[in-house]
Amino acid sequence: MDNSICQVYEDKIQSLEEEIKLLTEKYEDYQQESTFYSDEEILMSKKSFQREFWRPSQGYEYLPDLRDQLESLEMDLSFIMKFTGIHFTSHFKKTVEKTRNRTVWKHRLSGNCHSLSFQVEFQLLEVQNKENVSVVVSDLSVLMSCGGDSYVSKFVSSIEEHGNLLQFFRSLSSYAEWYEHRRCTFLHFKAKYPNFVALPEGLLGHYIILRNPKPSGQLPNEEGRITPLLDLLTKVPEQVLAWKMAAIENAPTGFRSMLLLFGIEAAIENLIKVVSLGK
Amino acid sequence: VAGGRGRAPEEEELLLPPHRRFPRDRGGPTPAFSLAGECRGRMEEGKAHSPHEVFAHLEMLEAQARAADVKEEEAKRQAEKLDRLKARVRELTCQRDELQAKVDLQQKGQLGKEGVVSDPAQPSAHAVLEWKIKNVKDMLQVFYLTGISGKLTEQGVCFCISTAYEGTYLDSYYLDLLTKPQVYIFRHSIPTFIPLAQLAKKYLQTDIRRFLSVLSNHLNAYAARRYQADQLQEHFSDQIEGTLQTNSLCNLLVFNYNVSNKSKTFPFNVRLLYGDLCSSVPTKVTVSCTPGYWLGKCHR
Repeated sequence: MDNSICQVYEDKIQSLEEEIKLLTEKYEDYQQESTFYSDEEILMSKKSFQREFWRPSQGYEYLPDLRDQLESLEMDLSFIMKFTGIHFTSHFKKTVEKTRNRTVWKHRLSGNCHSLSFQVEFQLLEVQNKENVSVVVSDLSVLMSCGGDSYVSKFVSSIEEHGNLLQFFRSLSSYAEWYEHRRCTFLHFKAKYPNFVALPEGLLGHYIILRNPKPSGQLPNEEGRITPLLDLLTKVPEQVLAWKMAAIENAPTGFRSMLLLFGIEAAIENLIKVVSLGK
Repeated sequence: VAGGRGRAPEEEELLLPPHRRFPRDRGGPTPAFSLAGECRGRMEEGKAHSPHEVFAHLEMLEAQARAADVKEEEAKRQAEKLDRLKARVRELTCQRDELQAKVDLQQKGQLGKEGVVSDPAQPSAHAVLEWKIKNVKDMLQVFYLTGISGKLTEQGVCFCISTAYEGTYLDSYYLDLLTKPQVYIFRHSIPTFIPLAQLAKKYLQTDIRRFLSVLSNHLNAYAARRYQADQLQEHFSDQIEGTLQTNSLCNLLVFNYNVSNKSKTFPFNVRLLYGDLCSSVPTKVTVSCTPGYWLGKCHR
């Protein structure tokens, strides 16, 4: 009989401890999310922290850990940003709802991937189940710097409709890589064959013009346009790179098969050689 | 204080066999024969009893007295325990109320301004660094949402490939890579039916990014197929006959369902084949109706 009364109190204690834990987390989350220290403040803190360490009155074990911990984390962050090419320039996070099993955050992220800038906003729901934790994204909104491009805007609407945040970043990463490849390719050929290659839209443009500068009485100026197209619309997380040729009568018709056989660089090289020979 | 498992010395003694018990001083002389009054209840009057019987009886009385003592101790302990619990409840309630007030104040302050503000009082280096640590950790966590995250290890890198289907994040997989003398996979949690060795052979040494990208495609497609199969089973369990059958790679799905028309029910069998391992969309669908009535085949 006494035991059941004790049990009631013990249950009450457990429930209070849980409430306290939750409230403490809420309080600390809010403190964290509403504070901001500039890089200078952080640098100053790192320096003064160093000084504090050398004061023998303080314990040795605890103090150095914070600084080392921060450095190690910053190295990890710097590595992953460099590796994936995704650089986040700002991150706002706010806890919207928090209960024992369920937390909802609102995120706003800005950044760039190579030369593409983006801003995403979304809600993230985390639910603690018996065996695992479930994470779901909702209310996704995406803004991209090259949003004018029709392919990009179609891509963005598809992503937003399905809340496909992961797919967004994976595609962004791929697109940016190919964007870079294209830029390097253009640069390479421009440098190698300055007379034959023109970049009317610059290095970031959509196409490259190969032309024979030597006017030849018999043959018209040949122009070839190569437009790399990235198909980002497919749900399949593989991008399809399609090279299209604006048709000119004497343009090599087998360019596409040449592409598949020899790869992009060799195909273009061959094309340039053909053009330069003034065939 | 869980149930008070420790035994008092008196209790301990009670458990000893009779010949091992020591006579205890009860604060007054209790020679055997002065307990005659109590003995009356148990022993027959006038009858001669052997010393053995008397001693046995005395031991029993002593045991009873000890038991009563123990009960008293127990009750006291329970009361003390209850008091401690009550005090603890009061203490925690007070703590909870204080925290609640603090949080409410934060929320009120929040209604006024949306922006972020530096702590007006001079923050300690310790507090600033702790804030920054949490901040960087949050940023690293965001990478989990992008599909590829990782951290540096002593001899290389440990990557984490996350998978998702539309907005729902699914399992994540780990790849522990060592980078010297060459890049190679030290440990991983990739399932065996994913062609890891093939992909590694093709890309790992020359282009790690490409390797991870292609691996991520395989894993995401597999996770999406599996998720879709699970969802189908869960949401259409009343229409599906039996359970969904699938292979471990989830690129072959077979299930049966019935279509009723007035009096007759037609059993249908569906077979979905996902020819492209990097896709979560089937490439071939076969729907058939048993017995023997073959309805048609469609290709994607």
